[in-house]
Amino acid sequence: MKDQYRLGVDIGGTFTDAILLNESTGEVETGKVPSTPSDPSIGFLNVVDRMLERSSVNPESVRYVVHGTTVATNAIIEGNLAMTAFITTDGFRDLLEIQTGIRPTLYDLQFEKLKPLVPRYLCFGVPERLDFRGDVLTPLDEEAVSRVAAELANQQIESVAVCLLHSYLNPVHEQRVGEILRDALPSALISLSSDVAPEFREYFRASTTVINATIRPVVARYLNSISERVRASGVDGELLVMQSNGGVLTFDAAMDRPVFMVESGPAAGVIAASNLGNSLGHENVISFDMGGTTAKAGLIEAGTPRVTKEYEVGGTATTTEHGSRGSGYPIRTPVIDLVEIGAGGGSIAWIDSGGILRVGPRSAGADPGPVCYGQGGTEPTITDANLVLGRISADYFLGGEIRLDAAAARAAILAKCAEPLGMNLEDVALGIVEIANNAMVGALRRVSVQRGYDPRDFVLVAFGGAGPVHANRLAAELEMPSVLIPMSPGTTSAMGLLVTDIKHEYSAAMIQRVDEVEPVAVSGRYQRMISEGKTALENEGVADADMRFDRLADMRYVGQSYELAIPLPDADLDAGTTATVLDRFHAEHERVYGFNAHDEPVEFVALRLSAVGRIPKPRIPEIAVRNRENCPTAKATRPVFFAENAGYVECDIYDRYALCSGDAIDGPAIVEEVDSTTVIHPGWRGVVDRYGNLFIGRS
Amino acid sequence: MHIQTPIDPIRFEVIRNALVEATEEMASALRRSAYSTNIKTRHDFSCAIFDSNLRTVAQSFSQPNHLGSLVETVPRAIESYGAENIHEGDGILVNMPYTGGVHLNDITLISPVYYGGAPVGFVASLAHHVDVGGGAPASIGAFREIFQEGIIIPPVKFVSRGEINRDVFDLVLAQVRAKRETAGDFRAQIASNNTGIRRISSLLDRMGLGTVERYIDELIEYTDRRTRSELAKLPKGVFCGEGNMDSDGYSDDPVGLKAKVTIDDAGMHFDFTGCDAQRPAPINSTYAQTHSGVAFVLKCLIDPDVPVNAGFYRNVRMIAPEGSVVNATAPFPVVGGWETQIRLTDVIFHALADAIPEQVPAGTEAMICHSGFGGDDPYRGEPYCFLETIAGGFGGRATSDGPDAVQPHGKNTANAPIEETELNYPVRITRYELVENSEGPGKYRGGLGLRRDYLFPKHAASFTILADRELWGPHGLFGGLPGQRAQYVLNPDSDGKELPSKTTVQLKEDDVISYRTCGGGGYGAPEERDPVDVLRDVRDGRVSAERARSVYLVALDTRTWQIDLAETARLRSVPARERESDQ
Repeated sequence: MKDQYRLGVDIGGTFTDAILLNESTGEVETGKVPSTPSDPSIGFLNVVDRMLERSSVNPESVRYVVHGTTVATNAIIEGNLAMTAFITTDGFRDLLEIQTGIRPTLYDLQFEKLKPLVPRYLCFGVPERLDFRGDVLTPLDEEAVSRVAAELANQQIESVAVCLLHSYLNPVHEQRVGEILRDALPSALISLSSDVAPEFREYFRASTTVINATIRPVVARYLNSISERVRASGVDGELLVMQSNGGVLTFDAAMDRPVFMVESGPAAGVIAASNLGNSLGHENVISFDMGGTTAKAGLIEAGTPRVTKEYEVGGTATTTEHGSRGSGYPIRTPVIDLVEIGAGGGSIAWIDSGGILRVGPRSAGADPGPVCYGQGGTEPTITDANLVLGRISADYFLGGEIRLDAAAARAAILAKCAEPLGMNLEDVALGIVEIANNAMVGALRRVSVQRGYDPRDFVLVAFGGAGPVHANRLAAELEMPSVLIPMSPGTTSAMGLLVTDIKHEYSAAMIQRVDEVEPVAVSGRYQRMISEGKTALENEGVADADMRFDRLADMRYVGQSYELAIPLPDADLDAGTTATVLDRFHAEHERVYGFNAHDEPVEFVALRLSAVGRIPKPRIPEIAVRNRENCPTAKATRPVFFAENAGYVECDIYDRYALCSGDAIDGPAIVEEVDSTTVIHPGWRGVVDRYGNLFIGRS
Repeated sequence: MHIQTPIDPIRFEVIRNALVEATEEMASALRRSAYSTNIKTRHDFSCAIFDSNLRTVAQSFSQPNHLGSLVETVPRAIESYGAENIHEGDGILVNMPYTGGVHLNDITLISPVYYGGAPVGFVASLAHHVDVGGGAPASIGAFREIFQEGIIIPPVKFVSRGEINRDVFDLVLAQVRAKRETAGDFRAQIASNNTGIRRISSLLDRMGLGTVERYIDELIEYTDRRTRSELAKLPKGVFCGEGNMDSDGYSDDPVGLKAKVTIDDAGMHFDFTGCDAQRPAPINSTYAQTHSGVAFVLKCLIDPDVPVNAGFYRNVRMIAPEGSVVNATAPFPVVGGWETQIRLTDVIFHALADAIPEQVPAGTEAMICHSGFGGDDPYRGEPYCFLETIAGGFGGRATSDGPDAVQPHGKNTANAPIEETELNYPVRITRYELVENSEGPGKYRGGLGLRRDYLFPKHAASFTILADRELWGPHGLFGGLPGQRAQYVLNPDSDGKELPSKTTVQLKEDDVISYRTCGGGGYGAPEERDPVDVLRDVRDGRVSAERARSVYLVALDTRTWQIDLAETARLRSVPARERESDQ
């Protein structure tokens, strides 16, 4: 049988990256072309053609193409949205205007509210009303809906979001509104809140539905255009897109529910870390991805990334260290839980008006970039500081593609920071790195400690161009036992595209006390969701043996407002399994909040199902074993500054590609590869495993 | 800008962030484990860390109103109880208004932080409990003395060496209506304080006590330095303003408020001499409440990046005459203190309008606008209480319109979602929308007010309005007009009876109470408003076409959505005097 391939394509702001995996050998090739923002599908096709041509792969042997994209997020941030109308219950037309009522910034008298994605004149109330049990209080006024539909036809509306009060319990009115609209507006796309996000709290459900509606035409055009071009080039494998929850969806499914792919890009990195951890027997992993402008932390417990539904997109405020509530459009679909902070290689160091050194959140980005890039940057950045400290090489940045200007970096740090502070160059450069590390430790703490996890029980998987430079220090600070640096950390994220499973999420509202619930009612809902999931997976060609259905319930103490997601057994509920579920809930509450209340009644809020179609995981190729009893040899030495040594040490520099399985390197040491640099601190030791991964632990 | 040599600016930044992070973790623990909608969804709470000298070291915020209050409450409670009587694992509960406290609903739990067996500081969480007993559900009402407002808690040991003091707990719970919810919220406050203690201990483990104390001193000095250097940028002078609360709930006498702001080389100083004497009515603010209003104003005028701790509070200087509505004494009621305090911030901004016209907004809603109700829940067969505060219009600014329907100034609680409210309480929200044409017209208009209607099915609820602005809307600035006044209406679709702004009414089954809050004041003359903005407002239904023509002097074609340029030019060319005589 001929070799079969999997292709991952990740479109970023500057570059479109691709990764081609040979399913039988596990060999991986990567490629990069400039992105084509005016029509990203061109860049997509360019990179696909280039990869296939370079590796002489027949297009027909590509089984899957998985795409990670920020097209949905960008559409929101750039305001490239469809003319959308919003229909809700009469009396509540201003849901999108009123929002949560809170201000994103507390002490800013010039603050602005979030601009609604639908102008007020396209928001309509129609007479109808359900009560809090989903029972009809006021029947739907169908003529009023028809009048709105006629008005929308006049206005040439492309997309409509419908969110009626309490529809998460009973979608009957929303469905009828949908029918009337489809008849009257055959070309418009209709998004019903009961389909998109059947969860209670009307503003959040409405916001999710409106985002879905506004990006739907844009995303559909985009995916259609990619699909046409890829098909034309002879690739007939399945086209999949990464979702925010880390699973993939077919292009067709993604076009209906694009709000599920808003965090498509960042999710891939966590999935990659999770897969890597699982394949090496490390099920508890914290992923740390640091690039040019931001650093992202995610947590994987028992082999599964944490997923959240509290998320905002397109905030006007920059990501702050403490989060900025109310500054973006809320979304209530499952998203891989990430903490993202404005600390990347390009983050700028500055002195505040109280004479204190600060780093970020402003970034020099890729243009002009850090001072040492020599592209006109004048503000010292984290990358400049790392260069001054000798942690990264002036001659081997991107494998030598860019020569860094160390003198310029030194001059900038001296003039902008060291002199005003009356400190010497190295102390300030170290300070810049330590302050950034401190912020990143904060992000790692938020994703672990603040969620009730002890980082000492986790392995830190670090990647992204800058991640391995900082990871060792972060692990030391958090007392984490070990750091795992995968091969080629710059492409780890893209690898995540190729190791994930197909995933469909379903949920059914069920607000009922656990001790009063009828097991039959629970089973009935699961049967419906499972059959829906099974059909979807069958349509995608997933074999029965590769299907899995994970049940979760959102639960809380009666009276609380925040739910915890508790795994349910695969079987129907009975007295025994119910007791197990309750125990799990109390234990989880204890873990997250530090207490539980065994005597308090517990209720279900929603039943959830993930229908998973397993995609075979690639085999990772093994690297050579060192056959002699000698140590790896350094390719060079250079002075590198370490706080532990209170100064520069002449440090061994290793070529990562020359390392063999079983090699051990004692810190202080530097390991260089084309797309990243790993710093091993004094007192730590790096050990290479048989796949080339570098494990750093205390020596 | 040289730093004293022994302080390492890097370690400084590390410690400062770790302290703030600890308060954020406390807040997160409290929010997520609380029971009442008011805390868990509306975020009506704050958390703070104090050092062993009872100086504020770091504070988490969701409510600016709590900015200046914990700093008063905690030191005075600890001094009164005696630090020597507090041991590891203890928790002191307090809500005493006149000695550093605020209103009775805001209950603070203070826990000592021990390290290596010795006390090193305190953590505190303040939460607004929806009901603390008293004369009406949610413990708000037009009360005449403090004893009608609910349970008064002097500093008492609520937690003793890690165990809740059953006697105190039972005594407190016996006074309140919604016991299960209140008990859950207390447990959440304990969880929050425990989180804070854990985080501080781990910081001390890493850095050492001596180092952290040394850097806390420096952090406070740094904050003081930055606050002063920010205040030095403001123009010097003495600036005065006046305003009033429209009513006190009993007499027709508006409640007079006066502010004199002095900006000089020493910074800013606020003098409230001349404010009316306290009254046996729900309009008295405690010293701590007034202090928090002043702290809010100060914080708005400096770089938002300046941290909040004792170094900032040192610069909050005020005179609030004892026995006045801005510094109440026993036994005068304080339940409406936040209403007075938030209006006072509006008066202060008005006073500063000529000094810093580019910074201050025109008059804003500037009322808490409480809506509190309760009764016997017909669905669950137990008593219930509910409290929320309603947003209103923000004032126009020097370069932008005032946002519609926001919680301005010291209040910043989130809306209670309708579905969540109806699921948990026997009430139906029948209308929730912007109040059209309620804006104060201006070159930059004020924000619109908000309407929220409540219907009570299947039971007779008790409903309390504690608000204001029923006579006059927020002031305009520099030619801008005032916003529309607020209205509180019983059964708007039938008898439509307007209610006073401070009252408790006993409702019948299916009665409706309708709130329509005020719009913000306008900034600059309305006839200078860009016609394009007027057109957008009319198309969006915020402002009527008639109002566009008569107030903004803009003529529109509402079929094509075009501005009638010629007619607009004509309207605007008529001198103001002649326009008035036309009408």
